[in-house]
Amino acid sequence: MAIEGMVRQQMLHRLYAEHHGWLNGWLRRQLGCNQRAADLAQDTFVRVMTKDQDMGAIREPRAYLHTIAKGLLINHWRRRQIEQAYLDALALQPEPVAPSPESQALIVETLLQVDAMLAQLPAKVRSAFLMSQLQGMTYAAIAIELGVSERMVKKYMAQAMLHCLLLVAED
Amino acid sequence: MGIDYRVLQEAAKWFAVLQSGAASAGERQAWNAWLEQPEHARAWAKVERISGQFQPLADDAVARTAGAMLHSRQSNRRQALKVLSVLCGGAALSLAGGSLPWRQWTADERTAVGEVRDLRLADGSQLWLNTDTAVDIADDATARRLALYRGELLVDASPSQGGRPLLLTSREGRVRSEQAARFSLRQEDGHTRLSVFAGVVDIQLDGLGITRVAAGQQTDFSRRHIAPLSAARAEHQAWASGVLLADNQRLEDFLVELSRYRHGYLGCDPRIADLRVVGAFPLGDTERVLDALAATLPVRIERRMAWWVSLEPAATRGGV
Repeated sequence: MAIEGMVRQQMLHRLYAEHHGWLNGWLRRQLGCNQRAADLAQDTFVRVMTKDQDMGAIREPRAYLHTIAKGLLINHWRRRQIEQAYLDALALQPEPVAPSPESQALIVETLLQVDAMLAQLPAKVRSAFLMSQLQGMTYAAIAIELGVSERMVKKYMAQAMLHCLLLVAED
Repeated sequence: MGIDYRVLQEAAKWFAVLQSGAASAGERQAWNAWLEQPEHARAWAKVERISGQFQPLADDAVARTAGAMLHSRQSNRRQALKVLSVLCGGAALSLAGGSLPWRQWTADERTAVGEVRDLRLADGSQLWLNTDTAVDIADDATARRLALYRGELLVDASPSQGGRPLLLTSREGRVRSEQAARFSLRQEDGHTRLSVFAGVVDIQLDGLGITRVAAGQQTDFSRRHIAPLSAARAEHQAWASGVLLADNQRLEDFLVELSRYRHGYLGCDPRIADLRVVGAFPLGDTERVLDALAATLPVRIERRMAWWVSLEPAATRGGV
């Protein structure tokens, strides 16, 4: 066990030494920010490290790291988008509101989770589900908004819930 | 412990039924019976946990807005404005809410938001359509028929020709006039308002017989109930002449009325909601109406975006 761990450690070391440079450069070009690029590069290697797989089996380390970093980058942009939407929404409130930084972070985090959970669904299904769950809209109102029948809205709701159920089915 | 796919599917279906808010007593009973099996109960616990994840977002106004912006951005950026106006206005939605939405899009005659139009019917009757209105017009051997799907109309009806009465249906019921009459009908959320200015008009509801409404009277009716008659209000026909009348109306109520004639959100700070508005305002230019309010009341106009207008108290701490 200890030896296996040491082997892993060494392989990770080599992976890092050989690939950290270009990965960091690529991320810097994507993000236009040194600090963030360094963070995401770090995250990429952490992700590799925590993945429970045989590192010796990685045949194309460059492509592999690229794929992981791309996923993280997309998450990063999505988080930025969600944070921006939250700020926009804050500015739009008819009454001035000043949620604490903690509750802001909590809400953004929850939005991210929900967003990730629904990301794979078709746009209309996702919209119907959010309109119902977040805004408490009736199926009739959702049907008008989406230009579909109420019966279809009901189908969308079941589809979205089944999708979420399958995602959490493992735990 | 995995749960059978089929059971998850059933749980999702029950969720869709119950979430509609329109589940019948029979459906609730069937759901309760379904829940009795332990595996079903476990699946349902997952449904509740997922649904519960949305609760903190639904409870938070900022998160609700952010959520709406996000999903509209994903599906169609151009729709963001529409979704937001629905989200913030609320009124826009309830106006649109109905059992036959497609009717509004296939109706014979429609007006856009802010448009007031008049037309002459085949029998010589005059018809005015208020903002955001949809009607069907049909004549047959037995009656002259109008169906109001959305919005508001005013009709100056000619007397019955060849025994053909004028029949007007809304979502809740039917009104009928035999003689010359002038009246307005407005489709609200869940009820219809009838105001009679000349002649007599009968309301016919299934199983409730006929209620006669005479000139100078108005009432609201739902499918099963007719409110006591009250005095017909002049503003319910003034719009046909392009005038928005306010007779000692609460500012908040006045703004709800005014917002029917424009896109986007229009509202006011609760502290000034009870200010009274008196006057006759031109409907053709709602911006001018807002300016007039700012000139006569202790309010100022806050334009956060082109389609987001809120009236705020004029005097703030320290003075402006």
